[in-house]
Amino acid sequence: MAKRILIVDDDPEFVETTKIILESGGYETRTAANGTEAMKRLEEEKPDIILLDVMMKTIGDGVWVGQKVKGDQRFSDIPILMITAVNQESANRSFHLDPGADGDYLPVDGFLEKPVEPDVLLREVGKLVKS
Amino acid sequence: MKNNQQQGSGAPEPAARSADGAKRNQYGKYEPYDTVGHLARIRDWHDDFESRIDSLISYLQEMASRSKQARVECSRNYSKIADLTRAKTRFTYEVSHEIKAPLAAVYNILNVVADGYLKDDREKQADLLVRARQRIREVIALLNDLLMLSLLEESTGKLKKEPLDMRGILVPVYEQMKDYAAERKVRFSWRWGDELPVLLGSPELLRRVFMNIVDNAVKYTDAGGSVEVEARKDGDTFLFRVTDTGVGIPEEELPKVFDIFFRGSKARSESKAEGMGLGLSLVKRIVDDHHGTISVSSRFGLGTTMTVRFLEYKKGGAGGEANIDSRR
Repeated sequence: MAKRILIVDDDPEFVETTKIILESGGYETRTAANGTEAMKRLEEEKPDIILLDVMMKTIGDGVWVGQKVKGDQRFSDIPILMITAVNQESANRSFHLDPGADGDYLPVDGFLEKPVEPDVLLREVGKLVKS
Repeated sequence: MKNNQQQGSGAPEPAARSADGAKRNQYGKYEPYDTVGHLARIRDWHDDFESRIDSLISYLQEMASRSKQARVECSRNYSKIADLTRAKTRFTYEVSHEIKAPLAAVYNILNVVADGYLKDDREKQADLLVRARQRIREVIALLNDLLMLSLLEESTGKLKKEPLDMRGILVPVYEQMKDYAAERKVRFSWRWGDELPVLLGSPELLRRVFMNIVDNAVKYTDAGGSVEVEARKDGDTFLFRVTDTGVGIPEEELPKVFDIFFRGSKARSESKAEGMGLGLSLVKRIVDDHHGTISVSSRFGLGTTMTVRFLEYKKGGAGGEANIDSRR
C-alpha cells in the first residue's frame, strides 16, 4: 500500500508542487494550510510522515503542530520533516532538535530549507518513512 | 558664598576693634601681637574656609546627582538603541522570509514544469506558470514598497510636498476602483463633499494611500457586498473614510493591522491577499509623514471602516504641518 504523506504549509503553490513531486514518487498525499487543519487531518487518517512548514503567521504554527504531534501517544511515532524558508541561522529564534523543557525545542526528525530540489525531497522522505 | 568671600578677604573694621582696646600702629594697621585682632582674622579665615568647603560639598553633590541622571539617561538610550537594533534584525529576517517564500514556490513550479513532472498536462502547466508569474509580481511589489519605505525613512520631514487639489488626486482612484469593484461584483458608492480642501503633500504618495485603502476594502468584500467611500471637508481637516461590508478584522488583530507584514488570519486563509506588498504599514508611514491620522474600526464578519484625516493647507498658515488630535 502506498505510503501516506501529510503536507502542512500555508503556501498554496508550494503545497501543490510538493504534492505533484511526491505523487510522482508513488506516495499518497493529504494537505493542510494551518495548524488546526493539520490536527484535523491527523484525526481523520494517520499519515506515515508529516512535512511541516514553520508557518509563523498562522494560528497554530508549525512548532505548535510539531509539539502537539510528538506529545500525543497516537501520533508520536510519525516522523516529521520540517521544510521551511526560515533559515535556522538567521532566525532570531534558533530551534534545536533535542527535547528539553524550553519552548524552542523543535520536535522534528529532519530539517530542509526551501527551496528543496525534488530529488532531495524524495530521498529525505524515503529515508524517514518506515519501509 | 560671595558675601562670605568678601568678608573673609577684608580686614576687620578698625573702629569696632579700637572699642575693644586693640592696638594699632602709626599706619592704622594691627600690631602682630594684637591677639584679639589675630583671633578675629582666624575666625574670618575659618568662616571663609567653612563656606568654601560647604560650596565644594554642594558642588560635588550636584555633580554626583548629575552623573546619576546621566547614567540613567544613558542606560535608557542604550535600551532604546538595543530595541531598535533588535527590531531592525527582526525586520531583515522577516523581509528575507517574505522574499524567499514566494521565490521557493516559483522555483518549485519551474522544477515541476521543466523536469516533466506534469508530462503532457498542458493545462496544469499553464495554470502553474500563471501562478508563478503572480508570485513574482508579489516579490516585485514587496521590493518596490521596501524601496519606498527606505526612501521615506531617509527623507522623514524632508519629503517634497506641494499644495494639492484633492479632486485631481482622487478622480483616478475613483475610476480605477469603480472598475475593480464592478469586476468583483461589489456595490461601490463614492460620496464627494461639496467642497474639498487643499492638502500639502506628495501627490504620488497620497494617491497611494487612498488607492491602497479602497483596494483593501474591495478585495476583502465578497460579491454582493458594498464599499462606501466618503471624501469631504470636515472642519479644518480633509476626511477620507471607507466603509465596507467585508470580512472584517477580529478584535485581537486590530492593533496589528499597521504592522509590517501583518496579514489577517481571514486574509491568509482565503489567500486573496496577493501582491499587496507592505500594504497598510506603508500607508501608515505615508500618513505619518504628512502629519495626518489613520484609524480603523471593524466588526469581525460584518465589515471594516478606515478613516484618514489630514489638516487642510492654508496659504501662509501652518496647515498640514501640525498634528491632528482628533483621532477616532
